[in-house]
Amino acid sequence: MRRRFHRARSLPSWLGVVAIAVALGGCVNATVDEMTYNEPVEGIGESSVVILGRRHAPDYDTEFDFIECLGDHIHRGDPSIEVINELAFINQLYPWFEPRTAPMQPQSIDRLMDMPVVADRLEEMKLEYMIWIDGKTVDTESTGSMSCGIGPGVAGCFGFGTWGTESEYEATIWDFTDKIEVGRVSAATSGQSYMPAVVVPIPIIAPVQGTACDSLGDQLLEYLSALH
Amino acid sequence: MGVASLASTTSDREPRVNRWLCWLCLTLLTAGCASKQVVVEGNFPTPLLEPLPITLGVIYPSAFAEHEVFDEAKGRAESDWLVKTGEAQVEFWDILLAGMFEEIVHIRDWDTVQRRRGDIDGVLIPAIAELQYTIPTHTNVKIYEIWMRYAFRMVDISAIHQQEDGALTFNPEDRLAAWPITAYGKTPTAFLQSDEEAVNLAAVVALRDAGAHFVTTFGANPDVALWLDEIAAKQALPEPTPPLPEPADLTVDATIDSPITEPAMNSADATGDMTGDAQ
Repeated sequence: MRRRFHRARSLPSWLGVVAIAVALGGCVNATVDEMTYNEPVEGIGESSVVILGRRHAPDYDTEFDFIECLGDHIHRGDPSIEVINELAFINQLYPWFEPRTAPMQPQSIDRLMDMPVVADRLEEMKLEYMIWIDGKTVDTESTGSMSCGIGPGVAGCFGFGTWGTESEYEATIWDFTDKIEVGRVSAATSGQSYMPAVVVPIPIIAPVQGTACDSLGDQLLEYLSALH
Repeated sequence: MGVASLASTTSDREPRVNRWLCWLCLTLLTAGCASKQVVVEGNFPTPLLEPLPITLGVIYPSAFAEHEVFDEAKGRAESDWLVKTGEAQVEFWDILLAGMFEEIVHIRDWDTVQRRRGDIDGVLIPAIAELQYTIPTHTNVKIYEIWMRYAFRMVDISAIHQQEDGALTFNPEDRLAAWPITAYGKTPTAFLQSDEEAVNLAAVVALRDAGAHFVTTFGANPDVALWLDEIAAKQALPEPTPPLPEPADLTVDATIDSPITEPAMNSADATGDMTGDAQ
């Protein structure tokens, strides 16, 4: 036990493992597709944008934190763009944006606007664009093994694990005034994460979802902002 | 380097360590048997609706207001589950109905029935007929799910009676409408989220879905549509001067109908009688 412990702490082994892991873990592949039209060349002015996740699929929900990440990315890139918080929006318009009732086509917006209270609320918000995000991040194949032990005064792990992660998201942009779809942007990213453990596990996580957020966010920002 | 190897090198040294390890093992062995309890709670939004010009009485039967589901563990690897939804149900439906109708009257006792008999357009009695849940250990799918089936009944205020023990009941034949509503909520697994938190979140999503389903299908039920038409027709007529109700009249009315001794809800999905203390 003790010998193994000393060997693990030797500098070359540490550096070797970390260098390999960092070199491999930094790799995230991203593919972005874009098809947009009717771009607001002078920006959206004082109007606002809402980004909403689709959650009607039986086996996944578009993550709330991904939607928040996109909103932050857009607002950071152009502070003049007001992005309405997703949860606040669906609460203020309950029950019209629940998975059961949310409009699936831009033409369905008219049905919502027939209700004066809903139309008034949306007008108060100065909503210009509604962006629907559909997708998910999943872990794929994993390999390796790691064993950990604990005893009085000593604890540690040894082993190596690796797993893949894939993200796939599609943003559909609706022009809320004209009630038409004005673009689709998609981002697919994948990467490999590693977890070497010599006494202490060192997770080297590939920022797959973060890269998807940045890629999609950049494209949306380019569409919405006059500065980009 | 497993637990066993570390234990074997240290257990002979100190008797206290032995005891410590015994406790650890016992804890690990019993961990799988521990029961899990969820008292559903959440923040529910006010619905964005034009309230219907209706005064609606609401009776929450005790089985509804105190609704809970207990699921016994089927093996050593599973846990007992107790999911209490009653308080959240009452909180949620109070908010939803208050946003959907002009006035809501909670009918908790006979006195309320007598006082508000003239202005209540109908009485809604919700019941939970069925609730099912799944967690990833049941399905091997990384999703927590809750599914509920409600049984709603709408009755005229005149169909509500008082039993000898003070409990309120109604004649099932007198109902204006009865319809089911299903609701579904799911939440995916998340990092650092406990089973209890995930089940709570799924239940909150299911409640919101129930509200959305109720709102969007309320007028579509033929019996409810007829009831709404009758109310609209009544409201279109010039309002006659209401005769002052006398307590004696009400007593006579109550005694004409013989006291109903059978359970208030005789169908299999009815989940209890409407006790006077129901919320």
